[in-house]
Amino acid sequence: MLYKADTLVTEFKGRKVLNLTDFVIERKQIYALIGANGAGKTTLLNILAFLVQPTSGNLQFCGRDVSCRRKDLLDLRRRVVLVDQYPILFTGSVWKNVEFGLKVRGISKKQRERRADEVLELVGMQEFRSADAHKLSGGESKRVAMARALAIAPEVLLCDEPTANVDEENQKIILDILERINRENQTSIVMSTHYLSQIRRLAHHTLMLEHGMLVNAYRSSPL
Amino acid sequence: MDIFLDSLESAFLLLLACDPELMDIVAVSLKVSTISTLIASLVGIPCGFLIAYSSFYGKRLLLTCLNTLLALPTVVIGLLVYSFISRRGLFGSLELLYTQKAIIIGQVILIIPLVTSLTIAAVSRIDKRYRNTALTLGATQIQMALVIIKEARYGIGAAVIASFGRVIAEVGISMMLGGNARGFTRTMTTAMALEYDKGEFVLAVALGLTLMTIAFGINMLFHFFQGRAGIDAL
Repeated sequence: MLYKADTLVTEFKGRKVLNLTDFVIERKQIYALIGANGAGKTTLLNILAFLVQPTSGNLQFCGRDVSCRRKDLLDLRRRVVLVDQYPILFTGSVWKNVEFGLKVRGISKKQRERRADEVLELVGMQEFRSADAHKLSGGESKRVAMARALAIAPEVLLCDEPTANVDEENQKIILDILERINRENQTSIVMSTHYLSQIRRLAHHTLMLEHGMLVNAYRSSPL
Repeated sequence: MDIFLDSLESAFLLLLACDPELMDIVAVSLKVSTISTLIASLVGIPCGFLIAYSSFYGKRLLLTCLNTLLALPTVVIGLLVYSFISRRGLFGSLELLYTQKAIIIGQVILIIPLVTSLTIAAVSRIDKRYRNTALTLGATQIQMALVIIKEARYGIGAAVIASFGRVIAEVGISMMLGGNARGFTRTMTTAMALEYDKGEFVLAVALGLTLMTIAFGINMLFHFFQGRAGIDAL
């Protein structure tokens, strides 16, 4: 079991935005989070990425309670990664962005270069290696953000609407990448989406949120 | 008008000849202003970042106090520091009064609120997603702070330049704490005030020209380094 939450409540300015009971995510699976805007999908992804602390309740990761201690949070964050709906790329080249997660982990330059080149090739962005990250299109930015996340070989990849505001060609590339890293690396993936076609194609499990509550969870067979 | 033009002509000649007295005054001004800007930046930039990125009780009051301190007159700082470092003051035994160190202390107090406030403004403008992106990629709190400071570098650079401009042009602190001692604590502004009192406009105008040239040169340098991206970011 990867994540397990019990009576997990998150409040924002006194308003309950998430209220989960009996929430489980298994390893090596692809989960699709669905629900209307404001249903709590992004909040849940931020909690799973250990970026937001729940107001109350218990969250377990890999069978251990998630601690709020700074050192523990850093260790946990280094095992999962969240790719935002509108990813932020840092100032600098595409390559500088992709190597960021490796650099903060103290990986040597030689290894960083090799790994960055590998993931840029995986997302089909190797020719943009030296390009200014802020001059990329929306689809290209998403692919670079994906490469940056994959560079650190996370156990869990969390994606907030990975294909939102992306053209069809880039949508296909992104979905192919998700499928491939789950199949080849057994990376667990939790993604929020509004597209049923993506759920049918990728998801092993679908979780439906409504007003911050899990109202439906069912197993599906990806095509 | 004739007085001004004559003074201007003589001032140019003085500058071209690299008059030793003029150069001494410029050197003292640059030295104390640079040191005080560096110290204030080392204190103000981290403080500004911490204030911008922390939530604590009384934050709004602190911001109001910082903004109020921006209007602090130099003579008030001069008086305050004087009361501490004069012979009868708490730190009188350190014999700091009428030294360059005294000017630096006063100037640091003058510009710390400016560096801090402008850093808060620069950092607050950076999208909060930069913080979360750095953290989710495994950055420590310090590494995350460096990412934010890098993204806010043009705003922070502007804060440092503005602070340098404030101290190199101030006269009250330099006069009260430095004492305008020739070749030692005489800065461009105190020398200008003295020359004006004496009715000697030539050196005053030459110093004024030098001051403006330095300010222009520093701003040109800043704009050169920040380039187009920096102008767009401001």
